[in-house]
Amino acid sequence: MTRIAITVILLGMLTALPGARTVLLPNGTGSLKLAVIGDNGTGDPPQLETASQMVAMHRQFPFGLVLMMGDNFYGSQKPADLERKFARPYRGLLELGVVFRAALGNHDDISTIRYAPIGMDGRRYYSHAHGNVRFFVLDTNVLDADQLTWADAAMQQATEDWRIAYFPHPLYGNAGRHGSNLDVRVLLEPLLLKHGIQVVLSGHDHVYERLTPQKGIHYFVVGSGGQLRRGDLRRADTTAAGFDQDRAFMLAEIAGDDFHFQTVARDGTTVDSGRIRRFPNRLTTAR
Amino acid sequence: MQSPAPVPRLWHFAVEYLLLLPLGAAIALLWVNTAPESYFRATFSLSFLVNDVAMVLFFGWVMKEVAEATAPDGMLSHWRRVLLPLAGAVGAALLPAVLFLALAPYLDEPRLSEGWPVVLVSDVAFGYFLVRLIFGRHPVVAWFVLATVCANAIGVAALAASGATGTLRPDLLCGLMAAALASALIFRRFGVVSFWPYVVVGGGLSWSALYLGGLTPALALVPIVPFLPHAPRDPGFFVDAAPDARDTLNRFELWCRHPAQAALFLFGLVNGGVPLQVLYWTVWTIPLLGFLAKPIGLIVGVALAVPLGLILPRRIGVPELAVVGLIASIGFTGALFFATASVGPGPTLSTLKMSALLTVLGAPAALVAAAALRVGRFGR
Repeated sequence: MTRIAITVILLGMLTALPGARTVLLPNGTGSLKLAVIGDNGTGDPPQLETASQMVAMHRQFPFGLVLMMGDNFYGSQKPADLERKFARPYRGLLELGVVFRAALGNHDDISTIRYAPIGMDGRRYYSHAHGNVRFFVLDTNVLDADQLTWADAAMQQATEDWRIAYFPHPLYGNAGRHGSNLDVRVLLEPLLLKHGIQVVLSGHDHVYERLTPQKGIHYFVVGSGGQLRRGDLRRADTTAAGFDQDRAFMLAEIAGDDFHFQTVARDGTTVDSGRIRRFPNRLTTAR
Repeated sequence: MQSPAPVPRLWHFAVEYLLLLPLGAAIALLWVNTAPESYFRATFSLSFLVNDVAMVLFFGWVMKEVAEATAPDGMLSHWRRVLLPLAGAVGAALLPAVLFLALAPYLDEPRLSEGWPVVLVSDVAFGYFLVRLIFGRHPVVAWFVLATVCANAIGVAALAASGATGTLRPDLLCGLMAAALASALIFRRFGVVSFWPYVVVGGGLSWSALYLGGLTPALALVPIVPFLPHAPRDPGFFVDAAPDARDTLNRFELWCRHPAQAALFLFGLVNGGVPLQVLYWTVWTIPLLGFLAKPIGLIVGVALAVPLGLILPRRIGVPELAVVGLIASIGFTGALFFATASVGPGPTLSTLKMSALLTVLGAPAALVAAAALRVGRFGR
């Protein structure tokens, strides 16, 4: 009887914890470990629960970087709102020294580029590097000539093996509300191909979707970090995997030539995982 | 204030000037919503040639009408004629702009505020057609033209001041523009009668000034056209130049009229294509603000100016001003242009363009208001 009681209690503790969590990533030393969230800034319970799940995963997979796909804040964006919609939900990660680097979404007030905790340093577009990985953060709301010129030069000058771009509007996507942003694709895709960008992360649609490689580039839509459009994903031939039933975030580990990813739902279940192997892009000069 | 001298037959005017841009925009809307990727590929590659080069002719042609109106008996021949419409224009421009900027943080698309100059402008040609349709040969017609010209001038100044188009280079802007104006002045002083030196030299320097200075170069001929020698009298607003006209300004118009119309069609084609999926509630903000705030702003502007000694012409009262304000809310061509000049390509611009296209609903609103208020033709 005692043994049964102990088993029941242990099972109860496991189920009471935020979901069964299994890290499927290598979790090696010297690799870049990061998380990706998008469209998260609601300040409501689902966002907080998703953030708690991220903290829980961090105990097993100590990522040091979080990439934000935009729509970091919804609605009012006064200082108290920024506290409620960002600082409070992600306090657990901030206290662990995790660095956030955000892109600007269409719902974000331009003034939030100066909100220090999201790491934009007062810039609409910028790049940052970690080891052999260079990230390019773009403002796809307004693709002005200055930004495109900057992006071309920045990508040309990059020497890192991995070149990853992220911005709110997906170039490829199958969600019903927005889907592929063709005007953005026509402007950006040539640049991405020219400079051998291997992975593109976006948000804007409130689902998770991994696309089949498009002209050699791997696309992800990670837009359900707080918002969700349940049932909005219209799976198509270009959908490699998708999840639109609950909030989700992505974990990634870049080690050598491998980009490992694992997408985790709010309750801790894994909804997608895999590995992308980096090959030298024939469109770029030898590196 | 005298009514304008012979005006073009209204429907001839409509066919000549009003169908081309809507036709281009209609084709663009169909194209972008059936084959979007091909539309964007084609139009992005054409946008510089159309928006920054071809549209120089359109704005030069519009400026010709304004320059001609400064002749004796023209609408702009005396500064006193302009003051009250200017006051109305300031009100009609300021109130929607202030409200838009105040509301932008609550729109759920705060980035739209970057396109705020869009709310300032009115479509002069479309509005002229509508005001003539409603009022016929009424003093308010000239009053409307003056007010919208003033409002658009305010819009141009605001666009320039906002530095919306890119990194401002005041040194290049001022230096090259000074050279442009000096060249035009020299041609004028030396009695150069051909318009080509003004357009090529003055216009070329002005275009370079605006382009390199970080502003929209489509306005290159706006500061140059006033230097072109013109006929001693104004034949009327939007009255075509006679084929045998001898003065430089009218010779310029005879040369550029058809290319300007072609530019207008291409402008509609290149900029009017907006995916219907951007029809979200936020696109209604600018049109609705225009419908509500422009008439109120116009009336308030006039009401504040009248105590200063300015006199409203006979037969123009609050009902007429309300209808004129609604007509002024039609941004269309001007709004489309200002949207592309304010904000770079992308989803924010698409939303602003849709808003610009929707301002055309000010036309039925104005007609309904005119009937309800019994003004113009509805007053008999």
